[in-house]
Amino acid sequence: MTILQTTSRSPAPQRRVSRRTLLKGSAAAVVLGAATLPLASGAVVEQPAPVASSGSPRKNKVIDCHAHLNHHSRASWEADDRKLIEAADKLGIDQLCCSTLTPRWPASLDGFRECNQWTADGMRRFPGRVLGYCYVNPGYGREALEEIRRYVGDGGFVGIKLYNEYTCTEPVVFPIVELAIELGVPILHHASHSHYFVEDQPRLTDSGRLAELARRYPEAMLICAHISGGGDWEWTVKAARHAPNLMLDTSGSVTDDGSVDMAAAVVGVERVVFGCDSSMTAGIGKIRGADLSPQDKEKILGGNMMRLLRRRKA
Amino acid sequence: MIIDVNAYLGHFAFRRLRHNTAASLLALMDSKKIDEAVVSSAGAIAYRNAQAGNEEVAAETSGHRDRLIPFAVINPFYAGWQDDLKTCHEDFGMTGLRLYPKWHNYSFSSPCCRELVNAATERGMVVSIPIRVEDNRQRSWLLNIPDIPLEEIVELVKAHPKSRFILLNGLGYTGSPLGRKDNGLPSNYAIELSRLSAVLANEIGQLITNLGAERIMFGTGMPFNYADPALVKLEVLDASEPDREKIRGQNAASWLRL
Repeated sequence: MTILQTTSRSPAPQRRVSRRTLLKGSAAAVVLGAATLPLASGAVVEQPAPVASSGSPRKNKVIDCHAHLNHHSRASWEADDRKLIEAADKLGIDQLCCSTLTPRWPASLDGFRECNQWTADGMRRFPGRVLGYCYVNPGYGREALEEIRRYVGDGGFVGIKLYNEYTCTEPVVFPIVELAIELGVPILHHASHSHYFVEDQPRLTDSGRLAELARRYPEAMLICAHISGGGDWEWTVKAARHAPNLMLDTSGSVTDDGSVDMAAAVVGVERVVFGCDSSMTAGIGKIRGADLSPQDKEKILGGNMMRLLRRRKA
Repeated sequence: MIIDVNAYLGHFAFRRLRHNTAASLLALMDSKKIDEAVVSSAGAIAYRNAQAGNEEVAAETSGHRDRLIPFAVINPFYAGWQDDLKTCHEDFGMTGLRLYPKWHNYSFSSPCCRELVNAATERGMVVSIPIRVEDNRQRSWLLNIPDIPLEEIVELVKAHPKSRFILLNGLGYTGSPLGRKDNGLPSNYAIELSRLSAVLANEIGQLITNLGAERIMFGTGMPFNYADPALVKLEVLDASEPDREKIRGQNAASWLRL
């Protein structure tokens, strides 16, 4: 078993956010042990355990559940990917669950296939730091399912990313959810709720739709993307309440005070997972600023996501 | 010393705010080690008569002027704004104002607004402009208030070279003349960092290079926003210690004559 997460780090930058400040000076109170769970790719996902294999206590990892690598049509993609890892280093983020998205939607078959190849390449370039989501357009039916089997079933990706090609309750999405259940991996679904029709995203999913899907598939692990992504986050949190297998991802550029606190209070802290979606200081700052116990912050920052990733079936 | 140039007191029409009294905001500032904050009325953003909000802030900050620096919200299209400006400056001791042209339905180029900015400038008051109050995608079904386009700010700073402007809650300055080097604009504006990136694109770093650290100020947007995202930017920003000190509070202290 190989632990890769510390070998690929870029040189330590000068300025970092300390874990102690991240947890409001409480790190010593919440030093959790960790064991490791190997993935098919050779990457390793830590899971909570009383004592690490070395016998010394370890902290939970900080896992960004919503990150993206850059599309290779962007001239600076390689440098920008590296900047993402450097930013994670500065902010104390151990692992990033990444997808690569097409620049235009709906994604074509060739479009999402090359994106997944690039995500796999990112996992090789940043071993142990980048965990892959397989991005598909559900409209491609059999080909989309084959893509998921290739990258999640055999390639070590940790989950599935769905965007806005279809609303999540459309039947074309159901085979994807059923395959995710079979593989034991989460689906991170793009979502937002605004009080107007979003013309450029006519099939936009919101947490209410995801809750409906979660009730249809109680074994599924669904993650509602970016509660701070610009829509009405209070609506988003309330609509998710009665779907216990629906998680809320804290990512997004909006830093409204109380958003993380309300999510934890309404759906329960075990259903809130930390993410940035490229808004890096916003992502970390919201968790640090939330009026929650250090133990709860540990869960949001990584423990809850670890719990999902551990459910992956062999 | 950390000075936050972007803070508020009172209620907002569309969302409950925490830490929105002087006592609770000061407690939050203590916990975040923020020494002083410029505050204006959150209620006045949606009040028809903004002066009522100014009166609330004046009363709330009374006894806390060592740490809370009250600014006025003035609507130059509302009756009696000249009286309100005089009262805010002379009676309430407010040393600056905040303008909400999209919320209060006027343009910077209107004669009334020009008159207000000139009057504030004559009094030595700083004029701060929140580019937005909230992310527009989470707006209520009742209204649709756009962000202030940066092009309108360009025209404003050009039209009032002797005024001093602090731009709040904005980003994308490096894609506008406002954030470019040798932009031909008067150096009469400073940019607050709450929505600027400190990593990845690192707009703060670019602005330091293009405009100088003297033009960047620390702000959080509290209690609308968590304070920590802005504090984290300060912590991870790659800048010299003298530049960081300027951003933390020296620039604001100089502009506010503290």
